[in-house]
Amino acid sequence: MRVSAEFDAASFVEKAVEELRRRIGDRRAIIAVSGGVDSTTCAALTYRAIGRDLVCVFIDTGFMRKGEPEEVYRRLTAPPLNLPLKLIRAKDRFFKALKGLSDAEQKRMAFRKTFYEVLSEEARKEGCTVLVQGTIAPDWIETLGGIKTQHNILEQLGVDTAKEYGFDLVEPLVDLYKDQVRAVARYLGAPVEVSERQPFPGPGLSVRAVGEITEEKVEVAREASWIVEERLKEFKPSQYFAAVFEDERVDSDRHLKQEIARMLKLSEDELQLYCFKARATGVKGDARAYGKIVGLEGWRRLEGGVDVDLFDMAVKRLVHWDPEVTRVLCAVTERRHGKYAVAIRAVITRDFMTAKVARLPWEVLMEVGKKILERCPAVSQVFYDVTSKPPATVEFE
Amino acid sequence: MFIPVVFCGGQYNHLIVRALRELGVESRLVPMTTIKLEGLEAMEVDGLVMGGGPYSVRDGLEQFGDLPRIIMEANFPIFGICLTHQLIGKLLGGEIVKGSKPEFGKITVYVIDKDDILRGLSPSFEAWASHNDEVVRTSKESFEVLAHSDFCSVEALKDRRRPIYGVQFHIEVADTPRGKEVLSNFIEVCRR
Repeated sequence: MRVSAEFDAASFVEKAVEELRRRIGDRRAIIAVSGGVDSTTCAALTYRAIGRDLVCVFIDTGFMRKGEPEEVYRRLTAPPLNLPLKLIRAKDRFFKALKGLSDAEQKRMAFRKTFYEVLSEEARKEGCTVLVQGTIAPDWIETLGGIKTQHNILEQLGVDTAKEYGFDLVEPLVDLYKDQVRAVARYLGAPVEVSERQPFPGPGLSVRAVGEITEEKVEVAREASWIVEERLKEFKPSQYFAAVFEDERVDSDRHLKQEIARMLKLSEDELQLYCFKARATGVKGDARAYGKIVGLEGWRRLEGGVDVDLFDMAVKRLVHWDPEVTRVLCAVTERRHGKYAVAIRAVITRDFMTAKVARLPWEVLMEVGKKILERCPAVSQVFYDVTSKPPATVEFE
Repeated sequence: MFIPVVFCGGQYNHLIVRALRELGVESRLVPMTTIKLEGLEAMEVDGLVMGGGPYSVRDGLEQFGDLPRIIMEANFPIFGICLTHQLIGKLLGGEIVKGSKPEFGKITVYVIDKDDILRGLSPSFEAWASHNDEVVRTSKESFEVLAHSDFCSVEALKDRRRPIYGVQFHIEVADTPRGKEVLSNFIEVCRR
């Protein structure tokens, strides 16, 4: 009785190529490629449709991960993809645009503005009048829902791209989810480093350097993210990284602390509970939340892996206590003197619309924490983010 | 078989379309602000699913366009999720309140009526929820409560007279592993 209608990458590609040829016609098109699965798949698909009439650019925003621009360039220009890629260095421009901003949405808007300025300059230079983008379903859903301004959302927000930037917009992946894009990437023969690549936000490390953007904070985010990726990749979380924010704390009330301690089977003096002054983005009841980060300390006595269920109960209680709480972190190292706190984030999800905290061995998290403290002298303490989506989002901003 | 999904601004609405298609049902999003009962009848729908959204029923029914009339007068089965579960609850005589213990993330749903839309899911199952408001009973309501959770007394409801259903949790997200079974049960209702 039940008909299975699983996603068919082959027929999707066939239809999309035909549609791309029809939409673009004999014009030249430009695409900004980040090396991620969405934009790279979109570029490969479009390249298949119109060949050398496609100009692929990689914009180095300065918010990429360690060695990423060079690595992506090498991977995308080599077989089997062979994309005609142009590398644009725009680090100083992006940094200047974001410097001094601390509100998450303002940062995203400033990033987006600079991104399209750089891109449309390039389009004019190359004589391109069509912009192809690898926008996928969650991008426009989150933006329209007011959760986060994704950097690639234009038409859905009523931006007239022809008038504003001088190009028509074509988005062949707009109805797909991440898992479906990965199927298309595999079908197109993309290397596993592309097809199975974990998502990386368009504004890059600028949303992982939580709050005000400084060069130092971005560098800490870069180094800590690299350490997290290197050590956690064998556990294959859907997404994993590090976020950095100022380690400024406010103590919390005693009753709550007692209750959470009981919940976690700790005595009251074994637990520390506080709020950070930094704020993080969350999603509650289909609306954006931008609120408090709670820190917990004292789990070292808990043995074995991360007990996600136990944490989950604590998160629920903390959200009931203060509706502004969007994120709960627990310490994996001792505190020392330093300016920044670092949060390790690792989640499991099919489509990034909802997400679970990854169950990782506690010793591994402690090892990652120790290494971050060794390599980043400005960091005071390392935490593990134990909040599901909702009430948190995957990224901090 | 054609079951459109009313887009109410929620981020998971699109996932309902995806889930219906994966179950072999034709579907697409129709906007809450413009859809009319007559329009749905002209499309010859076999049923209707309504998604969640960032509004509150406590702010009045005007913001829902023709949905209240569709819910009260349609001659096809209707399934509301989250926000629209609350809309159904309100129209059927329940009260909508801001919950003192809102649910975000994983919850356990306890099945009360195991013979209807939650068939096969008794006694309890894991689900993902994300809501501030909730439906409460008033003693004047014309719905049956089909399920509850630790913090919310009406996780699923059914109109006593017509095939109108509501669930507070999200059947359409991947972290509700058995959500598709609920949707299949609704599709069965639409086949009758």
